[in-house]
Amino acid sequence: MRYILLLTIAFLAVNTPAYSQMDAYREFRAQPSVPPYGLPKIKALISKIKPQSDEDNSDMGISPLSTKDYDALSLREKFTYAMIHPEMYAQNCAIFVPQAKEDQKIFGYLISWMNEETWSNRQLEFLEKNRDSVMAIIKESVTRSKRMGVNYKDALVEINAWEMIPFLISYYKKNKKDKDVLTTLMLLMKKGNYADFVKSQSYKNLYGVADNYESSMTFNKANEALTLQRAQAYFHSKKPDAPTN
Amino acid sequence: MLQPIKRYILLTLINSISYSPTLFSQDSLFVCVPGGTYQVGQKNHTQNPLRKISINSFYIAAHELTNSAFEKFVQATGYITEAERYKNALVFEPGLKEFRWLTDSTAYWRYPNGIMRGGIEKKMDHPVTCISFNDALAYCKWAGVRLPTLEEWEIAATAGTPSKYFRKVTKTNIRRYANIWHGYDHLQPDHTDGFLYTAPVASFKPNPLGLYDVLGNVFEFCSGSLPRDNGRKVAHARGGSWWCSANACSFFNTKDIGSVNPHASFSNQGFRVVKSIR
Repeated sequence: MRYILLLTIAFLAVNTPAYSQMDAYREFRAQPSVPPYGLPKIKALISKIKPQSDEDNSDMGISPLSTKDYDALSLREKFTYAMIHPEMYAQNCAIFVPQAKEDQKIFGYLISWMNEETWSNRQLEFLEKNRDSVMAIIKESVTRSKRMGVNYKDALVEINAWEMIPFLISYYKKNKKDKDVLTTLMLLMKKGNYADFVKSQSYKNLYGVADNYESSMTFNKANEALTLQRAQAYFHSKKPDAPTN
Repeated sequence: MLQPIKRYILLTLINSISYSPTLFSQDSLFVCVPGGTYQVGQKNHTQNPLRKISINSFYIAAHELTNSAFEKFVQATGYITEAERYKNALVFEPGLKEFRWLTDSTAYWRYPNGIMRGGIEKKMDHPVTCISFNDALAYCKWAGVRLPTLEEWEIAATAGTPSKYFRKVTKTNIRRYANIWHGYDHLQPDHTDGFLYTAPVASFKPNPLGLYDVLGNVFEFCSGSLPRDNGRKVAHARGGSWWCSANACSFFNTKDIGSVNPHASFSNQGFRVVKSIR
């Protein structure tokens, strides 16, 4: 019996790590942060939304809060709502197919985390209109939870939060497993059309004419250092009087 | 005995002579794909790994279902699509960021990009769009047909070619075979292949089996689920669409598989039907 157990453990050790490691990192990348602000209230409201499809209760289709309920939410509650309940359909190909060895790559774009949904126009407008508050809330939430989900990164890119670069770098140095922070930094540089980045080989590799949303470059010390250094320089080009880390 | 591929090329020739366009209650010629064991998927593809599968013979429509065919269904049944009921169809216009669409309460299959962007009066031979997966199922039930399974679609679309594209197609000559988006992004309109949105079905060159538009025009709903669905009810569609560009999803191929909410209606989403052989 003991031998069978040992053989089973040995078999699992040989056969499962590569797959499960890949799966685990993918899961880590796709994990959103759940903001605590008004969370029970938001969850209760979401659970009461009347499904727009009345034929098939196994999938309710799109389900936005009514304008009245939405408008009654505080700023922080609206933030929580956006981070846990995207309210518009995403199109068929708006997904990022899992790839092998994702933990050894730096991707050009963040992965889709909302299943078959995405942020609606009112949610995007909320994030944009309240960008200062959104940055402050994300900073506060990440500092407390020591974790930055893909939805937070997505929101920062959406609102072009270049002011968050020092915070992102500081977070990355403490959470080096989270290579999507490097992606976030590159997306902010891209959004800002930062010349030193746009003319670089990294940019060509990730955002060039031959590439698509699943393009990546190898993760290594050189690419990591270069990305951090460029992002730092970009931030200082936007805010020259800021203290250097 | 003939190998499956050789057999179905032969049967295709026979089929093109033998079967009437109205045989299955809609305006489409059908191609016969014989049963057998086929290779599907791709090496190192995490969602569609290389494997062998066995299938029964089936007929598959040579082209995507048209507005004309869908109109007959609506006229016969009075069916109201989900986009009409819930006013939540997603439409496109050049200038939107990548993967960004607009909700348009006026959009449905007769106005697939919203009333402001025109109707289908002169596009009855274009694929029907702005219909949800559930709408496609309703059509199939009425017409006595069904959606292809994920595997059936791939076997018919690849026509025996193991790579991402069927024989003779490359990334550079694909514009002859598929109505896709050729611009770098979607900020500017792209008319370079003659069409901004959908094209009349069979406007581009077919695959070796005689199937048109498998790599472009509209995504095609299929039946079946994937491990990544985690038990959720998710619709899947394959091929490419007029929206698809090399720099965005690059999904205009026979291996990648998309995911969409079964209630969602997009103007780049349609279907092609199959009929089982008893």
